[in-house]
Amino acid sequence: MTNTPLLQSDRARPWACAGAVILAAGLYGWALLMAEETWQVLSLLILAVVATGVAIKTGFVRRVERDWAASETRLNRLAFAVLIALILVLSGAHFALLMISTVLLYFVASLGLNIQFGFTGLVNFAGAAFFGAGAYTAAVLGTMPMIPPILILIAGGMVAMVISLPLLIPIVRTTGHYAAVVTIAFGVLFRTFLEVNEVLGGPQGLMVNSMKVFGWDFYDAPSVGGLDISFYVNYALLAAGLAALVFTLFRRLERSWIGLHMDAVRLDETAAACFGISVKRTKIQAFLLGNLILGVSGALYGMMISFIAPASFTFSDSLLLVSIVLLGGVGNPWGSAVAAVIVVLLPEKLQLLQEYRFLLFSVLVMLVLLFRPEGILSRQLRNFFPDRRSDA
Amino acid sequence: MTGPLLEFRNVVKNFGGVTALDDFSMTLAQSEILGLIGPNGSGKTTSFNVLTGIYAPSAGQVLFEGQELTGVNPRAVYEAGIVRTFQRSRLCLSLSIYDNIMIGDTSRLVRGLWSNLISRRALEKQLDVTQRQARDLVATFSDHLADRMEQPVGALPMIERRRIEICRALISGPRLLLLDEPSAGMTHDETHQLMDDILDVRARGDGLSIIIVEHEMGVIERITDRCIVLSYGRKIAEGTYAEVAADREVQNAYLGTD
Amino acid sequence: MDLGLIAQYLANGILLGTMYALVAVGFTLFFGVLDVIKFSHGDVLMLGTFIGFTAWLGLEAVGILKPWIQLLGVLLCSLAGTALIGAAIAKWLILPLKKAPQLNTLLITLMLGTAIREAVRLFYPNGSNPKAFPALLPNSSIEIGNFALRADSVILVVSGLALIGLLNLVINRTRLGLAIRAVAQDEETARTMGINYTLVVLATFAIGSGVAAFAGIMNGLYYNEINFGMGLILGLIGFSAAIIGGLGNLYGAILGGFLFAGLQVIGAALLPFASAYKDVFAFSVVIALMAWKPTGLIPERSSDRV
Repeated sequence: MTNTPLLQSDRARPWACAGAVILAAGLYGWALLMAEETWQVLSLLILAVVATGVAIKTGFVRRVERDWAASETRLNRLAFAVLIALILVLSGAHFALLMISTVLLYFVASLGLNIQFGFTGLVNFAGAAFFGAGAYTAAVLGTMPMIPPILILIAGGMVAMVISLPLLIPIVRTTGHYAAVVTIAFGVLFRTFLEVNEVLGGPQGLMVNSMKVFGWDFYDAPSVGGLDISFYVNYALLAAGLAALVFTLFRRLERSWIGLHMDAVRLDETAAACFGISVKRTKIQAFLLGNLILGVSGALYGMMISFIAPASFTFSDSLLLVSIVLLGGVGNPWGSAVAAVIVVLLPEKLQLLQEYRFLLFSVLVMLVLLFRPEGILSRQLRNFFPDRRSDA
Repeated sequence: MTGPLLEFRNVVKNFGGVTALDDFSMTLAQSEILGLIGPNGSGKTTSFNVLTGIYAPSAGQVLFEGQELTGVNPRAVYEAGIVRTFQRSRLCLSLSIYDNIMIGDTSRLVRGLWSNLISRRALEKQLDVTQRQARDLVATFSDHLADRMEQPVGALPMIERRRIEICRALISGPRLLLLDEPSAGMTHDETHQLMDDILDVRARGDGLSIIIVEHEMGVIERITDRCIVLSYGRKIAEGTYAEVAADREVQNAYLGTD
Repeated sequence: MDLGLIAQYLANGILLGTMYALVAVGFTLFFGVLDVIKFSHGDVLMLGTFIGFTAWLGLEAVGILKPWIQLLGVLLCSLAGTALIGAAIAKWLILPLKKAPQLNTLLITLMLGTAIREAVRLFYPNGSNPKAFPALLPNSSIEIGNFALRADSVILVVSGLALIGLLNLVINRTRLGLAIRAVAQDEETARTMGINYTLVVLATFAIGSGVAAFAGIMNGLYYNEINFGMGLILGLIGFSAAIIGGLGNLYGAILGGFLFAGLQVIGAALLPFASAYKDVFAFSVVIALMAWKPTGLIPERSSDRV
C-alpha cells in the first residue's frame, strides 16, 4: 500500500517512453548483429553514444526511469517479447544467434555473481571455474543418451554448487582480502586440475554432445515451410527462457527478506548479526545460489559451443565476468545486461578489437571504478512488490 | 518482578595484554534506566560488546532474566530481547528508511527460499504489517520523517539517522535497549530532543529497560535512575547521578589526578 | 627415495621459497602502509623482468658481452625501472583511491595487472611468445652423489636471502624504516610527527616493487625463460603467501613464501599419482589454511571498532 508514492507517474501511459526504448534497443540489436562492415559497426556505436548523451541531457532518462518504476512487469514482458522477436527474425543467421545466446548466458552468469557480490558482498574470482564446472558436467553427461537435457542443465548447476561446498568454511570465516584469496586460489586450482586431468581431456578439452529433446537433436536444423532455420534458434530460445527465469528469481530474491538480509550483511556484518540476521546462513545461501546459476548457464553454454577446453575457464575469464558486473552497475540486472552486450558482442563485431579485448575491458573497468563507481546503471532502491499499485 | 533483568558476574575481557573489563559486576532491574559512564577507554563499549555477543568474555558470567547468556552469538542475544545502537551510527546508508528499520525485525519472519521467492503471499502480508509498524514507530519521533520512508538514509542529517537507528532497535519489541553514545555527532538541543522521544516511546510500552553510555552528563542526569562509573575496566562508583558526581574517586578518574 | 633426490627437492624448495618470499614482502609492505592490496604487483614484476631483458638486448647490441657487467646492467635497469613504476602506480592510482572501499583498490589493481600483461603481450616485439632469458651466472655444478648442486642456484638463493635480510635491516634499523613503520601504525600520528607521508608511501612502493623485480630476474636466470604470463602466477602465489602468513607482517610474508614453496615441493615429491597436481595440492592447502586461520598464521591487529 505504501509502495513508491514518489515514483508514481501521473501520465496517461506511464510506460510509453520506456517501451519506446525497448523497441529501439531491439531494432538496434538487430542492426548491430547484421552489420558486417567495420564502418557500419562504428557508426552504430557512435549512434549509441550520441543517443545516450541526448537522452541524459534532455531528461528523457528520468522519464524512462519513472516509467520503469510505474509499470515494471509490463515492460519486462515487452523486453522479453522483443528478444524473442529478434531471435525469430534472425532465425537464418547462425552467427547472430550464437552471439545472442552467448550474451544471454553471460548475462545469466553475471546474475549469479551479482547475488554473491552485488547483494552479499562476496567477491568471487572463480566465476569462470563454476561456469566451467557446468560446461564439463554437460560434456560428461552428454555422452549418456538416457539423460534428458533439462536434467543435464540442473546437474551442471548442482555440480558447480557441490564443488563449492569445500569453500564454504573459508568463505564464511574470512572477509575482505582474505576472502578474495580463497576464490582466486580455487580458480587457479580448478584450471590446473582440468589441465592435468586425463579423464577430462587435459589441455585439449572435450567434445560436448548437443542437446536432444524427445529424440530430436538440437543440431538438426528444423525446416519450417521450406525456410532454412539455424539450429542455434533452439539454443537462443532456450537461453532466452533461462535468462527470463533467472531474472525473475533474481528480482524476487532482491525483493524478499533474504535479499534484505544480504544487503544488511554486505553493508555491515556486525550490525546485521546484532539484529538476529545469520551472517553465515546468508553468505552460504548467496554463494551456493550464485554458483548454481553459474553452473546452469555454463552447462547450456558448453552444449551450445559443443567443444570446451580449460583455456576457456581461466582467471582472465573470471575477471571478465566480474567486469560485466562492475561495468553494468553492481546489483543492477539491467546494467549487467547492457555490459554483457558490450563485453561479448563488441569484440566479435569489431574484429580489430578482438585481439585487444582484455586490454580494452581492463582499462574500461578501471575508468568506471575511478570515475563512476556505481557503473552504467546504478542500483535502484528496493520496491518489494512493484506492481501492487497498478493492480489495486 | 523478582530478580534482576540483567546481571554481570565478575566479567573479565582481555585483549592481548590489555584488560578492557576487570572483574566487572552489576545488575539491572526491570524497567530501569542505567547510565554507564567513565573516561574514554574505560570499558563502556566493551561491556556492550560482551553483552551483545560480539566479544566472548575472558571470564565471568552474563545472565539475562536468570538465563545464562555468556559467550553466545549476537543472534541469540537479539532473540533474548536485547538490542543496541552503535557509537558510530551503523545504518545501511544506501537503503531506504523502511529497509533499515525492517532489518531490525525481519530475522523472525519467513526465512525459506520457497516462501521468499516462489509463493510470496505470507511475505506480502508480513511486509504490510512490518512497514506499518515501522512507519508508526517513526511517526512517534517525527511526522516529517514518516513521510520520507522511501528515501535512502544516506541523505538524512545525523539526528534523523539516530532516530532511525533507535527505531530499528525498537521495532522488534525488545526487553532491553543499549544506547551507545546517542549524542555523538549531534548538538546539545538535538540530543535532548532525542531523549524526549526515547522517554516518550518508552512510556507507551511495557517497561523497556535501557542502559545508556554517554559523555553528555546533562543527559545522564536527566534520564537515568542509577549510574555506574567505570575506569580502566573497573567499577569505581555506583549510585544516583548526584551521588556518583560527588564521589572523590570519580572526580579523580575524570580529572586524571591521583 | 634416496638422499640425493631429497636434497634436490630441498634445494629447489629453498630457491622457490626465496623467490616467493621476495614477492610476498611487497604485498605485505603495501598493505602495511596503506591497508590496500595492489594486485598488479605480479605484473609489475613481469614488466620489470622485461625491462631487464631489454637492457640485456641493448648491452648485446652495443657489444658489452662480459656476463658480470651484463648482469649488473640488467639488475640496475630492472630494479630501478620497476621501483619507478611501482612508485608511479602508487602516486597516480592508489593514493587517489585512499578513501574508496578497500575492495575497489583490489579490483582496480587487478584490472591494471591485466592491462599491463596484455600490453606486454600485444606491444612488446613478439610479446606473446616466451623469451629465452640469458644464463648470466656460472653454470658449473658440484656433484654430490646423484645430487647436482648448481652454482647459479646457490648464488641466486644467497643473494635473494641477502636481499630479504637487507630489507629487514632497512625496515627495522633505518630512519626510513622507522618512518614506514610509523605510517603503518597510525597515519595521523606519523603526520603530526613531521613524517612526509606521501614520500614514505612512494618509497615503500618503490622498495617493494624493486624487490619483486629481483625475484623476476631470479626467475628468468633460473629457468632461462620469461613470458608475459609469469607475473600473474608469481603474483597469485605471492599474494597467497602474504595472506597465509598474515598481512602487514614481514615475517609472515617470508614464512608464507617458504610455506607455499614447501607445499609445491611436497606435492611434487610425495603425491603418488601425479606430480602434475602439485599446484592443485598447494592451493588446496592454502584454502584449508584460510578456513583454519581466517586472518593468516600471524594475524594482524584487529581493526573493526564497534
